[in-house]
Amino acid sequence: MATIEQAPPPQAPAGPTHGGDSHPPTSTGASNTKLAIWLFLASDCLFFGAFISAYLLYRGRPQLGPTPAKVYSIPFTSVSAFVLLMSSLTMVLALAAIQRGDLRRLRIWLLSTALLGSVFVSGQIYEFTEFSRKGLGLSTNLFSSTFFVLTGFHGAHVTIGIIWLLSLWVLATQGRLTQADAEKVEIAALYWHFVDVVWIVIFTLVYLIPTK
Amino acid sequence: VTDIELRDSGATEAAGQTSTALEPAPGLLPGELRPHPSPVRYVLIAVVLVAITAGEVSLYYLEGTLSDAVIVPLLLISMALKFGIVAAWYMHLRTDKPIYARFFILGIVAAITLFGIVLVGLEILS
Repeated sequence: MATIEQAPPPQAPAGPTHGGDSHPPTSTGASNTKLAIWLFLASDCLFFGAFISAYLLYRGRPQLGPTPAKVYSIPFTSVSAFVLLMSSLTMVLALAAIQRGDLRRLRIWLLSTALLGSVFVSGQIYEFTEFSRKGLGLSTNLFSSTFFVLTGFHGAHVTIGIIWLLSLWVLATQGRLTQADAEKVEIAALYWHFVDVVWIVIFTLVYLIPTK
Repeated sequence: VTDIELRDSGATEAAGQTSTALEPAPGLLPGELRPHPSPVRYVLIAVVLVAITAGEVSLYYLEGTLSDAVIVPLLLISMALKFGIVAAWYMHLRTDKPIYARFFILGIVAAITLFGIVLVGLEILS
């Protein structure tokens, strides 16, 4: 009786490494996790694109209630934009730190990024409160509805980013985030920078471009 | 043609050899074509971004002095420039494999197309 010889499982070739941690090879030669976050960010472009489109289409139309020119405080929003830009810098410095194995600086920059993000969200809450005080609520007019939905969803993205960064910071303080986990920080950094580039677009299109 | 480009071309796979295309060059992380910028360069990029933002805010206050036909295109160019700098340098699209940039550009093009369709649709309806 012939015996069926079971072939040994194929040996996976040595895959690319990321700070010492070996990953299985992929058909693209790129990390699947990183590809996944880029796909998510591409889909998020559509998400924000829809809200920005709605805002731009409705903001110039005659309507009841306060107009954008009456409620916006450009100096205040400019400071918020500056804070978010600086948080992108601290984020990329955190990534650079973990990639070279400097865990002390990683913790400092991660916490700095989360704090700067918190300052931004606090500013947004203050802005919304001011708008409400001036008589601009979510359902006052089409401008306010589209404005609050767009900036509110952006604020929600920043808040999720802060929670993500604080989780990484906790892992780093417990010694559970090492140089081998640099990709985890890189994925969070990509999300954070995306939130920043969306704000770059919102800041110009929503706040700075003059409204007739 | 660099060594990296040769490895990316898949020529070795076509020849039936053991692929080395999936392994990054020494000193590089998976998905990288070139090393990421240094921290000093990151700070310099931040200075450029802040300078462009300051220019944008200054343009806002020139409303009335300068025509909107000048201000709006300048603001849009500044916005695109800042977007591009963050995507290229901080998100490393400049130094990573082009597949990531392709995904991102796909999303941006889809968003702009969506805006165009909605705009044309509303114009037709009104």
